[in-house]
Parts: sequence; structure tokens; C-alpha cells
Amino acid sequence: MHKYSHINCFVPPHILKNIATKGTESQRSLAIDTIKVSARMSGQRQALAEFAAATFRVAVGGKDRIVYDARNGSSLPGTAVRREGEAAVSDVAVNEAYDGSGITYDLFNDMYQRNSIDGNGMRLDSTVHYRQGYDNAFWDGEQMVYGDGDEDLPASERLFNRFTAALDVIAHELTHGVTQFEAKLMYSQQPGALNESMSDVFGSLVKQYKLQQTAAEADWIIGQGLLTENVNGVGIRSMKAPGTAYDDPVLGKDPQPAHMKDYVNTISDNGGVHINSGIPNYAFYVTAVELGGYAWEKAGRIWYITLKDKLTTNSNFQDCANLTYSVAGELFGAGSIEQQAVQKGWLEAGLTVEGGGTTTPSDNGGCLEALLRLLGVAPVKRS
Amino acid sequence: MDVERIKFERTGGFAGMRIATDLKFADLSDEQASRISELLDDLDFGELPEELLEESMPDQFTYVITVETDDWEHTVTTGDASAPEKMQELLHLLDRLARTKRKH
Ligand SMILES: [Zn+2]
Repeated sequence: MHKYSHINCFVPPHILKNIATKGTESQRSLAIDTIKVSARMSGQRQALAEFAAATFRVAVGGKDRIVYDARNGSSLPGTAVRREGEAAVSDVAVNEAYDGSGITYDLFNDMYQRNSIDGNGMRLDSTVHYRQGYDNAFWDGEQMVYGDGDEDLPASERLFNRFTAALDVIAHELTHGVTQFEAKLMYSQQPGALNESMSDVFGSLVKQYKLQQTAAEADWIIGQGLLTENVNGVGIRSMKAPGTAYDDPVLGKDPQPAHMKDYVNTISDNGGVHINSGIPNYAFYVTAVELGGYAWEKAGRIWYITLKDKLTTNSNFQDCANLTYSVAGELFGAGSIEQQAVQKGWLEAGLTVEGGGTTTPSDNGGCLEALLRLLGVAPVKRS
Repeated sequence: MDVERIKFERTGGFAGMRIATDLKFADLSDEQASRISELLDDLDFGELPEELLEESMPDQFTYVITVETDDWEHTVTTGDASAPEKMQELLHLLDRLARTKRKH
């Protein structure tokens, strides 16, 4: 019997599943013991069943991608140029769209047990080379669409590269699809800015997942690599320091606020959805850095569950603050360090969590942290 | 009809950056002016609905085009996926002019 198998606190089964399926031999055996023990103790037959399924299931109707080429036209989806399982082609944009949607699928599937955009294996369709001089990417309700930037201008005047160049942009667009199937956040005002922020959050997490970066190591830049060398900027947005991504004589200055006191009231851009997203972006960043380690493991999970199960069409920033806080309590325990980190994240963005009240740490508090530390996968505690 | 002026504004998009241009037709090259006139004629621009816009789609651009002629003025708001195929060339021409003249 393993010496730690007496741990009887509740650990979210999905996290143990990941350790059990991906960890080292000893991590696996400890995680498997813990799953069995904690599931038995809490009468969670479901957890055992899910665990078995997750460990032994070979993906059926899993990752399925098609990349299309619009050949600079505007009709969608265009001509299929690379299908699931086919070898790389000579067109770099096609391969970026293929690989980028693949790793985005992997993060959602491996970490959150979500099978694609709709949770049911939906095919991931992407179109590259949309129109000419199209310095943008979007989600049209059914698929991802990417332009080539300012390729129609002389090199000295180009400001944008092709939009598949940044992995987080691909993950951002795909996440708009997830939001469409889950919270269905209206694309306007605060719900729209939350919709945008969720796309930036999972956009950045996919990039961090690919690079295996901790919250402290990540750059938290959205669209790094999109701006040409003619522009003074590191990307389109900064989650770490909203408002600082670019400051350029032609493009102007990044207008994002990081705090509610600087909220921008405008009718443009559906009520500033790409501007005010800086506020929830910053709340996520602070939460993730506060927790340390890989941001997709805890902060990402809290945000994902909130997007999937709690937010609705009209949710605003305050709702999101309250809901992420309560989800953190459900996942990690009332008063846990995770819940405190969420509270701190929103507070630094100018939002005080309501409704949760003050809670005392329960037996669950810090339980996951303790187990992860035993497994040797927990972040080093910050001093 | 004689076009005198075209105002073009593009907002939204992944980067959320606004670009705009105000074109006096007399200042355009002959080639640009005649192509734009043809496209406006083909579209019957003055008769288009003011809102050629379906629901807002994430990260799509919104375009506002105002055309002033010697006897009418008309403004149309549209978006990437909702703009008719016939309007794509006009959008690209105006968008390119606005991108070339970016000033803040
Ligand atoms: Zn977006």
C-alpha cells in the first residue's frame, strides 16, 4: 500500500486523471490509489466510472480538422487543402491553422475533458488567405477565418503579418466557438468584453500549454508576432499589463484598461469589447500568477467551469467575479488559497467579489495543493 | 450620378482598432475614381438598405460607408460576413485606401 494513499480529501477527479494518465510511474500509481480511495469514501461511483473511461478510451470522433484556402476571395469555406491526418503542405498558413487548432483541441480535451468546440467532437474548420489585405481573424459562428495581414501593401508600409502566425489568435477564435456553445455571452458591452476575455484567456493558455510555461514564465501577450517590424509594439494586447502592448505613431497606443476605474464607455466595437476585456484579462492574470505553476491547471479550470456552467448571455464583470469565486470554492474548498487568489485577482481589477462572504478554510482548503506537492508537480510556494 | 465624396470607417476586428478615411473624389486617381464609380453603380448604392448587418460576429469588422453625390447622400453599415459578394471589391478598395492613409 502506498504511503500516501490515506489522503482522503476530495481532489477533483479530472486532475487526478491527468496525473494518472500522463504522470510518471510513481505519480500514476499514487494518483490511481487516491482516485480509488477518495471516490470510494465519498461514494463517487461516477468518478470511478469516468476515470476508467478517461484512462482507457481511445478517442472516437475526436480531433478532426480541415483547413481550407479562400485563395484571397471572400466565399467560405473555400477549397479544402489539408484534412485530419494528412501531411504538412508547403503553405505555412495552412500548417499553422492545422497545428494551432490541434493544440487548442488538445488543451480543452486533455485538461478539461472537452471534446472539441461543442463538447461533442465537432469538426474544426479553418479558412486561410481570406480576401486581400485582410488584417484580421474571426469566428463566423461555424468556423475560423484568417487573413494574411497587409500583404497587399508595399513591405515598408505593412503593419500586420498573417493572422495564423500567433497560436493564441487561433486558440482565441476557437474559444469563441466554445463560448457560443456554452455561456452564449452576448457580443456587446460587458458580456461582449467577457466573451473577448475568455478567448484571450484560453488563447494565452494554449500558448503556455504548448510552451509548457508557468504563469510566471509566460509573456501573457496576445498576438505576439502579428505586428511587423514597422510597428513599435510586442503584440495586440497584454494580459499582464493591459494598455502597454503597443505605442506607435501610426497605430496609436494600446487603449486597454486594467481596472474598472478606467472602463471605456463607447458605442464603437460593440461597446468596446476589445478594449474593456483588459479588465477581466487582468483579473485572470493576477489570479494565475498568485497561484503559481501552470495557469491552465487551476485558474484555467476555474474559468473554464465558469464559462461552461455558470455564465449566461447577459453576465457582466461583477457576475463573472462572483461566479469564478464560487466555482473556486466548489473546486478547491471555501476559503482555499485558490478562492482567495480569485478574489485578489478581481480586486486588483477593481471588482469586489460579492455574495461569497468571508469563509474559514475548511478541510478541503489547500488539499489539492498538498497532494500536488506530494506528487512533486505543485508549484514552489511563493515567499 | 457624380460622386463627390466617400467616407469610410472600419471598427472592431480582433485588434479593435478603428481606421477611417474621408475621400474627396477629385483627389483620387482617375483609375481609382472610375472603378469606385462603377462599383457604386453596380451596387445601386443609393438604394441599399442602411443596415446590411446580421448579428455581431466575434472579431468581424464593421464598416460604415457614406457616399455623397451631387444630389443625394447615403450611409450603409455592414460587416465581413453580411456584406454581399458584390460589395467585396469596394470594401477592399476603400479599406486599402484607409490602411494606406492610417493616421492617429
Ligand atoms: Zn475575439
